[in-house]
Amino acid sequence: MIGLVDANNFYVSCERIFQPKLESKPVGVMSNNDGCIIARSAELKALDIPMGTPAFKLEELRQRGEIHLLSSNYELYGDMSARLTQLLRNACPDVAPYSIDEMFVYLDGFTTEQCEALGRKLRQRIRRHLGLPVCVGLAPTHTLAKLANHVAKQDPYYQGVCLLGGQDHKTEALLKRTPVSSVWGVGHRLAERLAISGVSTAWELRESDEKQLRKRFSVVLARTALELRGTPCLTMNALDLPRQRIMTSRSFGKSTGDFTQVHNALRRHAQRSAEKLREQRSLASAVMVFLNTNRHRRDQPPYFPQALIALPSPSDDTRAILDAVRQGLEQMYRPHHHFMKAGVMLVDLVDAERHQLSLLGPTPHHHHHPLLMATVDQINQQMGQGTISFGMTNAPAAWQLRCAHRSPRFTTRWDELMQAGTHPGAIDACTSRT
Amino acid sequence: MPGQHSLLIPALPLISQPQPYLTLTGRAGFSGFPSPAQDYEPRTLDLNTRLIKNPTETFYITAAGDSMEGWGIFDGDLLIVDRGVKPRLGHILVAMFDGEVLIKRYALYQGTPHLCSAHPHYPPLPLEGTDCQLWGVVRAVVHEYLR
Repeated sequence: MIGLVDANNFYVSCERIFQPKLESKPVGVMSNNDGCIIARSAELKALDIPMGTPAFKLEELRQRGEIHLLSSNYELYGDMSARLTQLLRNACPDVAPYSIDEMFVYLDGFTTEQCEALGRKLRQRIRRHLGLPVCVGLAPTHTLAKLANHVAKQDPYYQGVCLLGGQDHKTEALLKRTPVSSVWGVGHRLAERLAISGVSTAWELRESDEKQLRKRFSVVLARTALELRGTPCLTMNALDLPRQRIMTSRSFGKSTGDFTQVHNALRRHAQRSAEKLREQRSLASAVMVFLNTNRHRRDQPPYFPQALIALPSPSDDTRAILDAVRQGLEQMYRPHHHFMKAGVMLVDLVDAERHQLSLLGPTPHHHHHPLLMATVDQINQQMGQGTISFGMTNAPAAWQLRCAHRSPRFTTRWDELMQAGTHPGAIDACTSRT
Repeated sequence: MPGQHSLLIPALPLISQPQPYLTLTGRAGFSGFPSPAQDYEPRTLDLNTRLIKNPTETFYITAAGDSMEGWGIFDGDLLIVDRGVKPRLGHILVAMFDGEVLIKRYALYQGTPHLCSAHPHYPPLPLEGTDCQLWGVVRAVVHEYLR
């Protein structure tokens, strides 16, 4: 069985842990430089405010106190994400982070009942011990686990945990009422093309002929159909396919503790990620870097650090991403650990065309040379991966990140900790005194 | 200050830090008498291992106010809060009470569970019939004399 643990409105939930006043209020988190909405609480969704709404359009609502808008606090989100991953690692045999707020857990050898019980226990523990609300989807394949998670989120009947057997009536009934566009990896365009050939539900995709799918669409879609049947055929390294986030990670052939070697691997992943990013015409707002030691080596201390670095402004420039990767590595690197795996994940992707340039943000041309990047990509496409690559980049210029409404970095800065009063009104009394 | 650390936005790893110096192993010199300390692995006492039992679930909080002084928590003290601990009577808790985050002792008062202060001006708050939620259990308090 594969489980997908997915935090509900992750950024907003992180904020609410340390600011209980935001509970049950409409809360939105804005992208870098307070450009647009990238995360919404259920209450904000209920106000019909779509993702990507430019923040200035909501300014009036904010000033009237009807909604709360916060600058993105990536340092806090990154720390909470690392805690979530670590909690899962302590409880499950194998864990693979898929994005900042979604983690796959692999439960080989567990019975269905055990899986469901573990799912419920994890959900409670994460809520209680970290303060994060999550939903858990359990199924024999990644694609079905994703769907199960979706159901767990939508339908209160499941109380946050949904298990799909893959072959049972429950799975069949669910697939029959799931539009094909809700299937993991099936985008809007693909859904339209599928509709023309008479495939509009997940069940119809599952029942389609695999060879036909491969011929008329793609290998990936054929695999998705197999996965819907309960046959696992996606591996973690193929998992960046839905492209809402971009992840590049590889295991090293041999574990290494050498800074330069680890850095080189990460630089390769960064460059590949940036290419994928430009291919789909997106910009990334932040870069997550992670390292893993070999979890099967009992004689070496385990160390699974991750760091989330915000980019000065959303970018698809390889050099901006390389800078962030180097900063992340410098934060995490410890000389006595031997690493087995390193990865780069680009998060909070925005559409390159629709992105708003911020008036006060860093000038876009500073790190934006579309022609240079296009040329590099073209050469690498024609002459082979890595023909041209970037060397060490210089230390970044001192950009100012606009974050007028950023909450304190409660978990990573001594001078920004959460405050608790010893009696009602104590905090207000203390702030008015100073 | 906003902007001061604007560029470096790291998430600290949750593993306790390794020793700040290289461990002394092997012989004292390249020849001659072996170090008598060879068999004693150097250790340094790390407060993290003493005060932090569940690193993933441990958070730091600053105390505000004077009404817990009786239990050794002063205004501005640093609290080490473990969310992985099951609360029991007698524990000092961080709780969410009426939209406020409060530090209180979880204890019986007149036979029922209350959130108690250590100050005559602040009577125990009954838990019955209120919307009080546990945030975490205070494992330790750090009171710095020099700041």
